[in-house]
Amino acid sequence: MNARERMTAALEHREADRVPVYPILAGATRRLIGADYRTWATDAKTCADAYLKAVERYDLDCVLTLIDLSVECEAWGQKLVFPENEAAHPDYSAPVIREPEDYDRIEQIDYRTGKRMMMHVEVVRMLAKTLKGKVPIISFVFGPLGTLSMLRNQQDMYMDLYDEPEAVKRAVKNVAGTLAQYAGALCDAGADAIMWDTLFASGSIMSKPMWQAFESDAMRMLAQTVREHGCMNMIHNCGQNIYFDVQIDAIAPSAISFLYPPDDCADFAACKQKYGDRVTLIGCLPPTGAVYGTDREWDKLCREQIDAMAAGGGFVLATGCEYPANADLKRAERMIELAKTYGVYQTHA
Amino acid sequence: MELKEISLQLEAGRAKEVKALVQQAIDEGFPADRILNEGLLAGMNAIGVRFRNNEVFVPEVLIAARAMKMGANVLKPLLTESGVQAAGRVCIGTVMGDLHDIGKNLVAMMMEGKGLEVIDIGTDVPPEQFIETAIEEDCQIICCSALLTTTMNVMGDVVRAAENAGIRDRVKIMVGGAPVTAAFAAQIGADAYTPDAASAAEQAAAFCREMKEKQAV
Repeated sequence: MNARERMTAALEHREADRVPVYPILAGATRRLIGADYRTWATDAKTCADAYLKAVERYDLDCVLTLIDLSVECEAWGQKLVFPENEAAHPDYSAPVIREPEDYDRIEQIDYRTGKRMMMHVEVVRMLAKTLKGKVPIISFVFGPLGTLSMLRNQQDMYMDLYDEPEAVKRAVKNVAGTLAQYAGALCDAGADAIMWDTLFASGSIMSKPMWQAFESDAMRMLAQTVREHGCMNMIHNCGQNIYFDVQIDAIAPSAISFLYPPDDCADFAACKQKYGDRVTLIGCLPPTGAVYGTDREWDKLCREQIDAMAAGGGFVLATGCEYPANADLKRAERMIELAKTYGVYQTHA
Repeated sequence: MELKEISLQLEAGRAKEVKALVQQAIDEGFPADRILNEGLLAGMNAIGVRFRNNEVFVPEVLIAARAMKMGANVLKPLLTESGVQAAGRVCIGTVMGDLHDIGKNLVAMMMEGKGLEVIDIGTDVPPEQFIETAIEEDCQIICCSALLTTTMNVMGDVVRAAENAGIRDRVKIMVGGAPVTAAFAAQIGADAYTPDAASAAEQAAAFCREMKEKQAV
């Protein structure tokens, strides 16, 4: 099977020849072509070349075009900082939304005015020229509440949810309008799926009813837009106790990429049992394991994930969040190797 | 009035009401330490328990902490006047190279809710600054936060800097943050790892109690 056939089988809840694998290699790919972080994060050709190199070197089963969480907010004028060896982030001293009144300044804008969103679209277009039909391309987009938090700051935004709920909701709606155009453009450029980062739909952050009140309607609309463009929706959420149930209801994702078991499951095996026939499970190796502990411990983690969730298909072995951008890539190689050996399905053994 | 009313309003995050009730309690002659313990700290304790049990979440903790702060500001002059002392002193910061602060802020708020005095030295804090602050401010605990796998290692540098400064026997070092684990804390020689803000506050309060008892012997 090639990568596309293997991923298709996983998404259709069938056993492929082996478990598909994707360490979420994003910023780390820059090192494969000797690029600095800023260039990788701002220059489409550099970024695309790095991803292509990663596919070639590691025989990856898909590509997740995750640049950083500040790609979207830049379009609303958020000043960013580009550290030498880390992902870009907002200049925390200069948020666009300084006061609750500023939420009303957040309008729906044309995504094409956002340089970084346009760069991401271009990356996908470049990747599609080589990978389309062979290796699935999944594009990562920060959800509307997440994007809004990058324009404010999380702490103040959380209090605004109580103090100024209607202003936040209006802004979420406007941001979502822009993200809908953007996601559509990514699909048109060649993405097979959009992976929405719904960071706030987890017990790490807010209650289930609060997430439903503030983001689920917007996510429902965004998911519908992606479907209309002929692509799949996926979710990424690396929070603890994530809310599978309400997100499946709102987004109907084909797959969920996660790090911890959801709020209504005791462990990964229970998650497989409860949700394994409804959604493909992607994960859930802790990225810290790529940096700390021994190879043996890392291998054990990989095997445990396969044991808990691979049976019957519907599973992709992956890190539960981005593979550390500056970590040695040897652990990524080990997990790929384990997927190819330990992850072989018995019907193909 | 009953002091429990302060606690209930604090749990609901109603800052203006808490402020007014604290003033009312003062006017009615309640001692400052009772208003603090039975009103403000009781409310934050309750929030801490509910947070740990996943009954309330980050936004609820933040608005409760804001309410506590408003009430504490009213009470502060009286507490100073009556000589009420903090249960202990903690120096907290996010380690060098890391600008994330919400986890650290939550821990600081919860610790204040335990009656601890918290010296927040911010984000991107080099190891030496943790040590200097702990010495200058006579802290019993250093708390290090990190959200990035790339910055966790600095926590080990803080432990080593404390050893080099000769303060390791009188300062406990606590670590936390999304990528941090108990195994990692043990590996770098920290005294404690806690998985959430409420547990961190409880652990810090317990350390301070132990250290006080040790001193008293």
